[in-house]
Amino acid sequence: MDRRLEKVLSAFDRAYTGPICTAHDWDARVIPQKTRAIVQKYGLEKTYNPDHPINTDDNLADTFFRAGMELALEVGVLCPDTERVIKVEEKEIARTLQESPREMVVGSGFDAVVMKHRLPEDPYVPLVGAPLCLVVSEELWVPLVVGLVQKRDLVDIFFGPSLPTVYGRKVRSGTPLETLVGRYEIELRREALYRAGRPDMAQIGSASGVTEYGQLGGWAALAGPTHIANSLSPAELKAPFASFHKVIQGINFGNRLRVGSNSYIGGYAGTSEGAVVLNIAVDLLYSTILGADYVTSNIYDARQFGNCGREGVWANSVATQAVSRNTHLMRTKIINQTAGPCTEMLLYETAVAYMAVSVSGASKICGPRSAGGKYPDHLTPLETWFMAEVFKSCAGMTRTRANEIANRILPKYETQFGNPPKGKSLTECWDLQHQQPSPEWAEIYQRVHRELVDLGMPLREISW
Amino acid sequence: MKEVLERLGNAIIEGDTEQAEQAAVDAVAAGIPPLVAIEDGANKGMQVVGDRFARFEAFLPELMLAGEAMNAAIRVLLKALPADQAATAQRGKVVIATVSGDVHDIGKNIVAALLTANGFEVFDLGINVDLKQIMRKAKEERADIIALSTLLTTSLPFQEDVVKYLVDAGLRDHFYVIVGGGPVGRDWAGQIGADGYGRTAVHAVELCKRLTEAGRPPLAQPIVLDYKG
Repeated sequence: MDRRLEKVLSAFDRAYTGPICTAHDWDARVIPQKTRAIVQKYGLEKTYNPDHPINTDDNLADTFFRAGMELALEVGVLCPDTERVIKVEEKEIARTLQESPREMVVGSGFDAVVMKHRLPEDPYVPLVGAPLCLVVSEELWVPLVVGLVQKRDLVDIFFGPSLPTVYGRKVRSGTPLETLVGRYEIELRREALYRAGRPDMAQIGSASGVTEYGQLGGWAALAGPTHIANSLSPAELKAPFASFHKVIQGINFGNRLRVGSNSYIGGYAGTSEGAVVLNIAVDLLYSTILGADYVTSNIYDARQFGNCGREGVWANSVATQAVSRNTHLMRTKIINQTAGPCTEMLLYETAVAYMAVSVSGASKICGPRSAGGKYPDHLTPLETWFMAEVFKSCAGMTRTRANEIANRILPKYETQFGNPPKGKSLTECWDLQHQQPSPEWAEIYQRVHRELVDLGMPLREISW
Repeated sequence: MKEVLERLGNAIIEGDTEQAEQAAVDAVAAGIPPLVAIEDGANKGMQVVGDRFARFEAFLPELMLAGEAMNAAIRVLLKALPADQAATAQRGKVVIATVSGDVHDIGKNIVAALLTANGFEVFDLGINVDLKQIMRKAKEERADIIALSTLLTTSLPFQEDVVKYLVDAGLRDHFYVIVGGGPVGRDWAGQIGADGYGRTAVHAVELCKRLTEAGRPPLAQPIVLDYKG
């Protein structure tokens, strides 16, 4: 039996036999109380230091790892459909940490790329998945994707954007139209990647079908280990049937598995330290229970629904370092920007947050989430390429240097989270025919690029 | 009297539902007017938690548990009031849900907890809630406001479906409808005929306060509360 399936089935059995707990008790009592107790036990309270937005303390990262391991063993994962807790034993996590892949090839032919476990300050150039599932109109979708993926040296893996309609009809989650859009999106992907000259890129799916229906409807068309099935669970530490459906579907068709969940500063985890401990537990538990080949685990700040602020950057940096230093798990990280295209703030947010996860040991990223994903058609290739350039070029930089640079950039935007600029839409600041930015967007990029290079970021200039 | 009111307030601060309920029973037994117990006991406790939440010293779980303790105490105290006073003692009834296809709950839970903290009676239907469940609960509780959340663009049409259903069923003048969530922009409420949009949980509370003072639904133009600019 596929080793991943063995793990998933074992966990699924426990979804019917584990200790009973309602989702409400899980969110309001179990997670906050256990997390708080473990943060206290390990002396991690108030370890967030705003002067060091990128953690440089290895001992602190290692202490967080031990705390995250204890939380994982203490709580497990809730299956909200059965209201039972899937507990795991130490030997299961140990076996997962031993067996999980340290590297893997995705994509094929000229588009094959190697994802690897990375240590903090690792010079190995990490991979970029792009973009996230931001909504882009049906008629703009293919030309935008052609533009996004044309930079072979920057974009390695294809993911979004999402389609709000299929054949002009609104897609509603969980309805037959979502089943249809699962396949429809794949056909559009094929057309766009072929036109861009990148037909064999690894793909993550499905962007438009967010429930299991979208994936079940279309993902079989991208069978095989060069592509990646996607199973994201709601916060915190939950594995609903929908998550199991998605991983089993991925295993059925021989895909790689990208599995994960998010933690929120100010949410059930409470403080940023609590969110870090929970985030580490996510990495350990989703690898063990849902058979992940690699984990997507992100910390967001509930005050901004983003993670480019000082506290969010710190939390993601220390959580990434903790798991990178103590395991060989590969992880992808997602950054939620709040500002939109054609603004300085979007580039500043991108520079700080992606530099932080690059030097902290992330194997891959998925992004961008321009304007927080709030507005349709607010996504352009330029910020996508810029994100990729930051993430890749910072590989090998020291955390101390990154920290100095972050401290210079953060004051340029961190007071604007209460009112981030919406920016401009795709057609307002990008020429889809020639695949180039508007003069205004190009000027903003060139100005910010020069500024960041002057601050010490090793960025190449992107041409179009 | 002071001791009972302090006990009531502290039970809410601690999120202890049983103690809050018992303190409310004791307040009634001690002859404390229920409106005084609500104002000087329950509301004061909830205010402390709300202030801590605003200062980022308390978090969502504390707010949720305090809200539940508050609800338990209020139920006891309202029973002790004449019907006409009980109706005016609360700001209004809100049925809140994350709509179909979406299992995200943090934003919705923050809104529900803050509404409770501000004196609304909140019926939280949870996540992935379909139109039928929302309508059934809104009618059953004679809700003033239906609050619909989603973080997914593919669940946005379900918000629109609720408004359209109310119109088609001749029920649009029974309920205000407000919308919020990650992909919900400031124009969306107007596009679908909803009565309001709040960008943040604090905006949602302000929105509900304004709507309960606005007379009979629907509004000709939605109230949009967003960041400045």
